[in-house]
Amino acid sequence: MSKESNKNISATLATATCALLGGTIAQPVQAQEEPGWDFNTSLLYYGEDENRVQDLSVALLARRTFQDDRWMTLGLTVDGLTGASPNGGLHQNTAQTFTQPSGNNTFTAAAGTLPIDDTFRDTRVAVNANWQQPLGRLYNFSAGASASKEFDYLHLGVNAKISRDFNQKNTTVSAGLAFSSDTIDPEGGAPSPLTSMLNVGDLSNRLGEQDKDVVDIVLGVTQVISRNLIVQANYSFSDSSGYLNDPYKIVAVVDGVTGDVVPHALPPGISGPSHEYIYESRPDSRTKHSFYSQAKYFMGGKVLDASYRYMTDDWEIDSHTVDLRLRWPISDKSYLEPHLRFYTQTEAEFYQVGVVDGSPLPAYASNDYRLGGFDAITLGLKYGWETRNGNDMSVRLELYQQRGDIPADRLIGNQVGLVQYPDLDAVIAQFSYRFGG
Amino acid sequence: MKTFIVIGMLLLSAGCSSMGVEPWDRDVLAKEEMQLTTDALEAATDDHIYFSKEASSGGRGFGGGGCGCN
Repeated sequence: MSKESNKNISATLATATCALLGGTIAQPVQAQEEPGWDFNTSLLYYGEDENRVQDLSVALLARRTFQDDRWMTLGLTVDGLTGASPNGGLHQNTAQTFTQPSGNNTFTAAAGTLPIDDTFRDTRVAVNANWQQPLGRLYNFSAGASASKEFDYLHLGVNAKISRDFNQKNTTVSAGLAFSSDTIDPEGGAPSPLTSMLNVGDLSNRLGEQDKDVVDIVLGVTQVISRNLIVQANYSFSDSSGYLNDPYKIVAVVDGVTGDVVPHALPPGISGPSHEYIYESRPDSRTKHSFYSQAKYFMGGKVLDASYRYMTDDWEIDSHTVDLRLRWPISDKSYLEPHLRFYTQTEAEFYQVGVVDGSPLPAYASNDYRLGGFDAITLGLKYGWETRNGNDMSVRLELYQQRGDIPADRLIGNQVGLVQYPDLDAVIAQFSYRFGG
Repeated sequence: MKTFIVIGMLLLSAGCSSMGVEPWDRDVLAKEEMQLTTDALEAATDDHIYFSKEASSGGRGFGGGGCGCN
């Protein structure tokens, strides 16, 4: 037996004796990461078909590890957004002109095309900071703050989370709380819900700056099942209140018989919308409940990551999400990871393609395609490898597809065969590089 | 619904106390690819994309919000 192992046995015996006698002794040093910096960087391209939204995004996540399992994480993301988004207008057999959100100009959608607002261009800068540390032997605590700024939007948020280990650290129970306070300030001011799209230069229906607050609570349990299997279950509650409309989304005013969008009469010499549209209206509060479960299973080198989420809210939207990833090593230092995701949601109770001219206006109405009923599928493949100097690189390519459906009984007259849910095809390409400092 | 959740949690906690591994059997679970979130940046990217395009968010953690895209 070597001198070294004799020393270890002596130290262990001394520790055990002290523990039995109730004495105090310096805790043996736990295996832990070396203090230092670790950087995770990524370049992302997200592009939708038909010149809709394009996003080029650069992100950096820096983590400083300190002694005793304490971490600090700092994140920065910069997005450059261009392109256009469906504004809620309907396909028509004639060209349609709309007042731009700023109220300063107009844009025209050609006959037979889906109206999209192509004045959309924005830069988003987001930062976040997080601190995590153990509290005693069984508790872990983290606290963080986040902020992001766009041309028309400011987000400020704080969050905190505490967790406790049980059962030899095989069970971890956690609780988290987050609060965010956002400000919406579109050019020209946020429009008053259900008011008409006005002529150029008329901003009389604008409310100016608006606020939105969100409170999130997440309760979770993580359980080690076996040497190869770990599972997690979370319940999340989210309550949003304030101005929850999308200030750029509109709803058509349609003829009750033909279903055509009602024309708008313009005074001579004034430019403005060619048809009658009103700004959308959503309730000023929304409560969501989510149940999320995840399993990670190690199968002789391959790792299966499977998760399922059910969400329901008081806007009558229910959704199911299934996400599957399989990390498949192809050598000691590289792997492939196929990814498959299914998503389906029901429509919000106030989702509608148009409001009928002359009928009383509903309290809430939105033709935002994201509040409609649709299915989505993501298909992706990631390739990751370790570089010669021990850092990690990966590339992934994913295709995202949304297919929606407007029930036939919602369509009036000429809308049948003409008005359709704006399906979406997008590509996600991301390159990541992780290295230690 | 609430009763089911409470019963489910109780069953889960009762079952959990007998599950798990000894500390010296954590070699596989300690691997980076076995962490619940393997790539924090990629997870944040996905949360943000789907928050912008769908009516649901969060679940894994706090929602991917904080933008005017929804």
